[in-house]
Amino acid sequence: MILLLLVRRALISVVILFFVSALLFCILRLLPVDPAARSLPPMATIAEIEAKRREMGLDLPLPEQFMIWLGQVLHGDLGTSIHFRRSVVSLVGSTLPATIELAVSAMVIATALGLGGGLLLFATRETPAEPAVDFGSIVLLSIPEFLWGLFFILLFGVALGVLPFTGRLSPEFQRPMVTGFLLLDTLLVGRPDMFLDALKHMILPAFALGIAFSPAIMRVLRSSLLDVYHEDYIQQARLRGLSESRVLIRHGLKNAVLPTLSLMGVQFGILFGGTLLVEVIYSYPGLGNLMVDAVRNADLPIIQAVGLTYCIVVLIINTVVDALYMVLNPKLRIA
Amino acid sequence: MRLLPHWMRSARVLIGLSIIVVIALAAVFAPLLAPHDPNDQNLISTLLPPVWVPGGDPEFPLGTDSLGRDVLSRLIYGARVAMTVAVVASFGAMLLGGVLAHVAGYFGGKIDWLIGRIVDVWMSFPPVILSLILMVGLGTGLRNVILAIILVDWTRFCRVLRSEVLVVRRRDYVTAARLIGFTHWRTITREIVPATVPLLITLMSLEMGIAVIVEAILSFVGMSVSADTPAWGQMIADARQYVYQSSWNLIFPILAIFVTVFGFNLLGDGLRRTLDVRLTAVRT
Repeated sequence: MILLLLVRRALISVVILFFVSALLFCILRLLPVDPAARSLPPMATIAEIEAKRREMGLDLPLPEQFMIWLGQVLHGDLGTSIHFRRSVVSLVGSTLPATIELAVSAMVIATALGLGGGLLLFATRETPAEPAVDFGSIVLLSIPEFLWGLFFILLFGVALGVLPFTGRLSPEFQRPMVTGFLLLDTLLVGRPDMFLDALKHMILPAFALGIAFSPAIMRVLRSSLLDVYHEDYIQQARLRGLSESRVLIRHGLKNAVLPTLSLMGVQFGILFGGTLLVEVIYSYPGLGNLMVDAVRNADLPIIQAVGLTYCIVVLIINTVVDALYMVLNPKLRIA
Repeated sequence: MRLLPHWMRSARVLIGLSIIVVIALAAVFAPLLAPHDPNDQNLISTLLPPVWVPGGDPEFPLGTDSLGRDVLSRLIYGARVAMTVAVVASFGAMLLGGVLAHVAGYFGGKIDWLIGRIVDVWMSFPPVILSLILMVGLGTGLRNVILAIILVDWTRFCRVLRSEVLVVRRRDYVTAARLIGFTHWRTITREIVPATVPLLITLMSLEMGIAVIVEAILSFVGMSVSADTPAWGQMIADARQYVYQSSWNLIFPILAIFVTVFGFNLLGDGLRRTLDVRLTAVRT
């Protein structure tokens, strides 16, 4: 039963991905820039550009161009960057791990702060502190990762000068290449000093991103806990003599965690997109900086590939969270 | 004794609305309020701190940027871009998302399925990425920023409003309207829309805050309005480069964005609490 649902969910993701890539392809074909002209030297003649257009398949009808592109993508060929003159696969491959490391750290921080804050919001319900705490959560909700990032640079980077805020590693270190995940690699080559340095560079961007996404989790956990506490079984648990903390853990949280989880799925998808800005602000060499460079240079193959990569990761996150939801939801456990 | 409609008596609504009105007035009367032309360069006095810091110049109350332009004037003029985008883009997103939500929720069936799947595809793009890609396709400029935000954010309205329409559609008075011979169009506009308006207004207020942020993000990466139009995101990008020489330049546009978004969120939250029939019914 669950397995069937999981397979169905995965298949839906694949179908969505097909349409996402079609959409991406169409938007980028609206571009006023001619990719053929851009990939040739400025002295190229009109005839040479025409030949290049034919070679790149730009004279074909749009659906046909899309199918050709899709075929190449399925064979792992994302084309060559116009600006860097390197294969797009290697560019994406060398930046994606950095972005994943950032996103995962931020997700851990967002979850910890979100659950903690949600419990705090819930614990202060119907107390004099409620308006203040509630007001605080709206203030937090109004600060996007972009502003947190800049604020942290001002506070911890410039004013206090305690943490670095550019790049991933201090210039005296030579980046080891094993798996591509820097934090892991520094440990694998046995350099704890380098690991600490990389970790320090990670703190500000990861917190900026994590803090920005925690208020939504807080508020949904609070409201689902409030809903759950209206149910009769909470009253019954209390009548059975369970302590308040036991009621909260065994009955409250257990039931409130499902709606929170499904919100986190959506939030983490957006969070992954949020890495783009944090990367730009902290000059963090990930997918986001690659994307912004590509956008500035109108480097079509990269924009297309990076856009697609973001969507694939978001779809994976959503699918995993949905799967987790199905596995955890007792209502789906029948048969 | 009802001098004010009940939603005006909420502290959140009043504070939020006051913040927004002040910023909107600053945007409208920018030429009268700004002490300098926002693009006037004064290369002798670059990166001046605000007037209350030693070294500040009373001529430039909030200091100057790396090209010696007056920060206060740029902030005031920057409000124009922010407010224009907030109002026009959120209205457009509301219109597009709202119409599709009503069509999907009211008619149901295949058309609902189709609109639902389009929303699914749209929402697999992280919003920042989709708006950047759209800006590449559309090209920079205020009109295109607004268009990009509409094309990204209509889904927020569509999703939430559709489920509201589904609930309203099943109410007896809607059936009654159909039974006495109202056309579909008339049923939607006369019976359903009035019931979804409170939610619509709340969502729009929140969306305005989001639009301000998205515009700031796009102008931060240089994909929004042209360089001679002052925008808060641009000011941040410029100040980010000189953060060690003058951190003040970074603080003011950050504050401007925060206060604006906070105002919209406070207003939205207050409206949600006072306009939501279910919530008010519980309280009274």
